[in-house]
Amino acid sequence: MTKLNSIKDLENIKTACGLEHQRKPITVTVCSGTGCASCGSTDVADTFLKEIQRRGLQERVSLRRSGCHGFCEQGPVTVIHPKETCYLKATPEDVPEILEKTIVEGGLVDRLLYVDPQTGERIPSLNDIPFYKYQQRELLETISAIDPVDIRTYFAVGGYSALSYVLTKMTPDQVIKEIKDSDLRGRGGGGFPTGKKWETTANAPGEPKYVIVNGDEGDPGAYMDRSVLEGNPHGVLEGLIIGGYAIGASKGYFYIRQEYPMALNNVKLAIEEATEHGLLGKDILGTGFDFSVSIHRGAGAFVSGESSALMSAIEGHVGEPRPKYIHTSVQGLWGKPSCLNNVETWANVPLIINKGAHRFKSMGTEGSRGTKVFSLVGKVNNTGLVEVPMGITLREIIFKIGGGIPNGRKFKAVQTGGPSGGVLPESLLDLPVDFDGLNRVGSMMGSGGLIVMDEDTCMVDTARYYTNFLAHESCGKCIPCREGLRRMLDILTDICNGNGREGDIELLEDLAEVLREASLCALGKSAANPVMSTIRYFREEYEAHILEKRCPALMCNKLIRYWIDEEKCVGCGLCEKSCPADAVSKVGDKLYEIDESKCIQCNACFAACPEKFSAVQKTNATGKKAEIAA
Amino acid sequence: MDQINVTPLGVNEAPEMGSAAVVLIDDVESMREGCQQTLEEEGLQTAVACDGMEGLKLIESLRPKVVLVDLKMPGISGIEVLEKIPEIDPAIVPIVLTGYGTIDSAVESMKIGAFDFLTKPFEPEKLVETVRRGMELSQLRYDSSDVLMEAPKEKLTQEEVLDKQDVLLKGLSAISEGYSIGLDQSQFIGELKRLESEAKYHARSLGSVKDRERAILAIYNDLRMVDEIIRKHDYKKNNLIQILLETQQKLNWLPGHVLKWISGRLHIFLAEIYNIASFYEAFSLEPQGAHIVKVCTGTACHVRGAPNLLKKVSSILDIQENETDTNQMFTLKTVNCLGCCALSPVLQVDETYSSNPSLTKLKKIFNSLEEQEDCR
Repeated sequence: MTKLNSIKDLENIKTACGLEHQRKPITVTVCSGTGCASCGSTDVADTFLKEIQRRGLQERVSLRRSGCHGFCEQGPVTVIHPKETCYLKATPEDVPEILEKTIVEGGLVDRLLYVDPQTGERIPSLNDIPFYKYQQRELLETISAIDPVDIRTYFAVGGYSALSYVLTKMTPDQVIKEIKDSDLRGRGGGGFPTGKKWETTANAPGEPKYVIVNGDEGDPGAYMDRSVLEGNPHGVLEGLIIGGYAIGASKGYFYIRQEYPMALNNVKLAIEEATEHGLLGKDILGTGFDFSVSIHRGAGAFVSGESSALMSAIEGHVGEPRPKYIHTSVQGLWGKPSCLNNVETWANVPLIINKGAHRFKSMGTEGSRGTKVFSLVGKVNNTGLVEVPMGITLREIIFKIGGGIPNGRKFKAVQTGGPSGGVLPESLLDLPVDFDGLNRVGSMMGSGGLIVMDEDTCMVDTARYYTNFLAHESCGKCIPCREGLRRMLDILTDICNGNGREGDIELLEDLAEVLREASLCALGKSAANPVMSTIRYFREEYEAHILEKRCPALMCNKLIRYWIDEEKCVGCGLCEKSCPADAVSKVGDKLYEIDESKCIQCNACFAACPEKFSAVQKTNATGKKAEIAA
Repeated sequence: MDQINVTPLGVNEAPEMGSAAVVLIDDVESMREGCQQTLEEEGLQTAVACDGMEGLKLIESLRPKVVLVDLKMPGISGIEVLEKIPEIDPAIVPIVLTGYGTIDSAVESMKIGAFDFLTKPFEPEKLVETVRRGMELSQLRYDSSDVLMEAPKEKLTQEEVLDKQDVLLKGLSAISEGYSIGLDQSQFIGELKRLESEAKYHARSLGSVKDRERAILAIYNDLRMVDEIIRKHDYKKNNLIQILLETQQKLNWLPGHVLKWISGRLHIFLAEIYNIASFYEAFSLEPQGAHIVKVCTGTACHVRGAPNLLKKVSSILDIQENETDTNQMFTLKTVNCLGCCALSPVLQVDETYSSNPSLTKLKKIFNSLEEQEDCR
């Protein structure tokens, strides 16, 4: 491996890699992100490699194990370039057929194509699939085009051009100005203007300065950062080095959750490769700029994603926030000026430098520029990662890209912004998604989780879920957050268990007010958002739980029961096979019965009973069996 | 530690009675005299040398347990002495003395085998404490080299095997102490559960060893492994979390003896280490099963039935969340989000993810792991 000593060396290697990239006319891309890997993509890729060689196609066909394509639920995703033929859920057994039909004969393997659920039409090209068609993939495009553990594939798509441009043609001030001009706002949740943050750290007194990647993606239900770190670690690293140059830092840190082993590994390899190529270390590309990077593994604490807590963890202490009378951008890591940005923010930097601030600014809305990656998950047909321009409506994301709600159920709500965000009802679906729009309706952008909920999701349970999460994750340093959340959790648990009392809703509202006013950090200040937004939009569900002891969504365990309708049951026995608690047993010749004393209410029998029979019933516990059956 | 009998030095000759436990090599006379006096007041016989050559001769003839060596000396340097010591006897524990401003070389010397370093000027108590810890390590090294180098002796098979009941009784007496110092009932029960599972773990590992030396060797190997990790992290205090993470990964939990060891090595209070180890989700202060079963409880998983999946798994394994089964085979945990939201609900068993597994699939996964373990 050659060290690149000058800009010219970098240009040469990029040209060489680019040519190598185009040498073979056909490329088979197998997605190797965590999602697809758990669906067996490694075996698929291995089989491709073997079969390509066995058939002597290696001069014409190359294989690439890429980062996440985003369409994880349909994984493994295989894309054959240049036609971009997309095969979903392919197994190793399908590989010979794909090679034969698509690559040798130029045809299609129909059964592996995407089928539009509305029209029943089979769609061969990746970009015609609605999930991809309505996206604007700026950041994610690179991820599906490169092999994250091979720097040469990143060179081939123009990697590190932004760095070389910045180091030779721009002063640090110009870089900061460019980022400011782009109006890029932090992608981690707060939405603070990135350029302004950089400027503050650059101007703050004290040496050395630090730049940090916040990869402690703690929001449950969001996995953009994981995919970006896994799929394009060099993109984030390039952004970080540029930031280091602009701010005047020579040391950078990656803070990554230990729950993300593949992200940790790929970033480690990227740092090693970049160091070997002279893109990190002393005198980068002969320009005299020094920069080095270390990885810090987060040990699993949600609150450690908060800037001051994260820095305290890097210093080797407990990751607790401190009061921020002075911002971490002025006094952060070891009391020195430190600039912390989210993974996606750093990854946007090379794009802005390469394509220009004006182009970035041309996307999105006033006040929220550019594109944003969302993790569209929950009760939606096409789950996965989607990248869209800011300002697109929730309806477009959920129904056009996401393909609506599965099994013909009705949409109920969408949760944005993680545990600090709120739950939005159907009436707000036409709301444009941007930082300010979401804040106005009591939610927030957060890091980009969009969790779709259908009519089977209980809103009180959702509020209880988030409160439980936050009560566990509260560091316990300040009392409003520690005790307030615990009390709220008690009340919500009582309501879910049918022990709610009149006045509980008002009590929750009171507690929420105290939390917002008196907590030390953002975790506590925003902790009541899920409760407040569910009360605001779904008050009638709370009332049903409290006054009628009834869960309208049939989700709260203590308020529901399972039983089998004798008239509908045909005795197929699927419910018995699915029951882990041996609560379903045969009575007489044909019929099954659920023993409620053994039932653990895991819903397995209900899910197992074929729709055409629908013999397993789930009803409110207060209702009489006969009444409901009638 | 106090129960360990002093055994002969394995392949080496036994030291003469009255010989020195410590050899001190320093070119400054006041240093030599001061340290010798401090150590001898504590009952640690100390021989002194004023340069490396003389020092090596002393080590050769006296076979001390601990060698204190200055880095900067005329003639043979401290580093060279360090390199020679293992050739003489690998059980000798070297400790480096260093002047202010040469911390880097001290760290360097730890990489080539020094046990610890003392920065001049140091408190007499610090000296004694460090030497004592060195003596403990040396003792462990002698004991384990004994096990490693000699064929198993017949008498060992007759030695008493510490049984499960003993361990449990010890645990209970420790708890009653805790009770008397005012733990409330829920704390008491929590503590009882913790100690019970720890006792089970020890009973199991002690039951499988034939003799105490092997148990000591097991502890010694733990500590050596931890030392390896600490060395990799350059003895830096701020790497504590990383060191604990790697230890957790290797051992599956953080045993008390390991935490004490790390505390001594990095000069961090044990309380501070416990503070960190109990704050983060990733650490376990209780022994865990051979396989970790994690149910993701992220929001995406929650709305698509993670609570039901958890109930199913819990019912099959017959353990609740955060519990380990009686065979020390499975530990059931929940995790905030695995970042596989599109595949929700997700179950992670060791390193493998599975998306919404059916009852049959779950049973298959657990059975195959149990069979693997049986084969072993």
